[in-house]
Amino acid sequence: MNATLIAALWRQRLTSPIRLVLLGSLMGMPLLAVVFMHGAGLSALGDSQGAVLVLGAGMIGQDVSSGVLQLLFARPVRRPDYVVSRWLGVAIAASAVALVQLGLALALMAARDSLPGAQDVFLYAAGRVIESFGLAAVLALFSSLIPGFGDLALYFLFTLSASVVHWVGQVKQWPWLDRAGSEILASLQPKLDLAQLVHASPMPWFPIVSYASTVTLCLALAIVAVNRKELSYASG
Amino acid sequence: MPPAEPRAGDSTRRSPTVLLIAALVLLAARVATGLYEERHPPSLPDLVRWRPIDAAVAEARQTRKPLLYDFTADWCAPCQTMKRDLFADREAAARIERMFVPVRVLDRRQEEGRNPAEVDSLQRRFHIESFPTLVVVPAAGGDSTVLVGYQGRQAALQQLAEAQVRSMMPLRFRPRAGSAPPR
Repeated sequence: MNATLIAALWRQRLTSPIRLVLLGSLMGMPLLAVVFMHGAGLSALGDSQGAVLVLGAGMIGQDVSSGVLQLLFARPVRRPDYVVSRWLGVAIAASAVALVQLGLALALMAARDSLPGAQDVFLYAAGRVIESFGLAAVLALFSSLIPGFGDLALYFLFTLSASVVHWVGQVKQWPWLDRAGSEILASLQPKLDLAQLVHASPMPWFPIVSYASTVTLCLALAIVAVNRKELSYASG
Repeated sequence: MPPAEPRAGDSTRRSPTVLLIAALVLLAARVATGLYEERHPPSLPDLVRWRPIDAAVAEARQTRKPLLYDFTADWCAPCQTMKRDLFADREAAARIERMFVPVRVLDRRQEEGRNPAEVDSLQRRFHIESFPTLVVVPAAGGDSTVLVGYQGRQAALQQLAEAQVRSMMPLRFRPRAGSAPPR
């Protein structure tokens, strides 16, 4: 982990007006739902997918296509450190966005005297943070494979293909295809439903192991992909 | 001119050996736990307080809440997914309790050869052909809303909220179609 690289990523993201506008809308819309929908609970805030995609798009690919990576690796920065720092930078930023949004939603709910229980709030907040770290790892892998913002295209292409597989499995009533589609979809958006994990008996290990497996595999493959890149001033 | 890449001994590359081994071990554990939990699924408590079929109509009239019928079967995989995902979720269950008088209508034909009479009667009345099917019946009578299949918690909650709003509208504003008032 390299704190300078993480801070540089945040500076880069905070100076992009498009990303800020998108983030503002992603944060604001669910808050409007909390304001105007009577009885809207924490689920009205949605998930972290939008924030991670906005903050993480091109997290490595943009540096490859702009030539920053050549300059960066001329300094004493190791490639695995670079990948992990980009992943952490995006995940921490998306988690912060989720927690700020949650704080605002709780303030609105408190004003209406409809605050959810402390355990529910904690499980929801932890779930959003876990989701941010999971999806950021997937995006890091895609971003290491393709320059520019191609990671977004790759992410949507994979999601669409997995949805089609899942749908065909359901329509044809082929459980193996249905399961394959849902597993790929779950791997593309790794998250944990902590409320369910807490209430289930015995505690299911499959979702926890799946999440950890997806995150480690994505990071390992992203590092391998960045290691394999031949960077020179002439390569672009 | 500075070199584009550092010298071989000063390489920026490091093989993520530990991470790769961890990823492979976790991948194997994922397959193993997936297979195990498919055979021994962990049980999740159903947090919705399902009402008996015969008492529910009276409660719906008294509370003026619409009835929510959950047509389901033990052998139906999407029904079990919905049970784990929706009815075992504390917030979703609380919303369902707030909006509806919930009634579970369990099909037992595959296990026992036939259904209790009231289950058969409800299945015929709402033309139930597949599971899971959720039916929202306004307390004041009028058209019911039928939701077939399960497309995830968010989608289901949104559809249920829309159905509840429709069912609370005065009769003259509701579109005409389909079925009968609660009996």
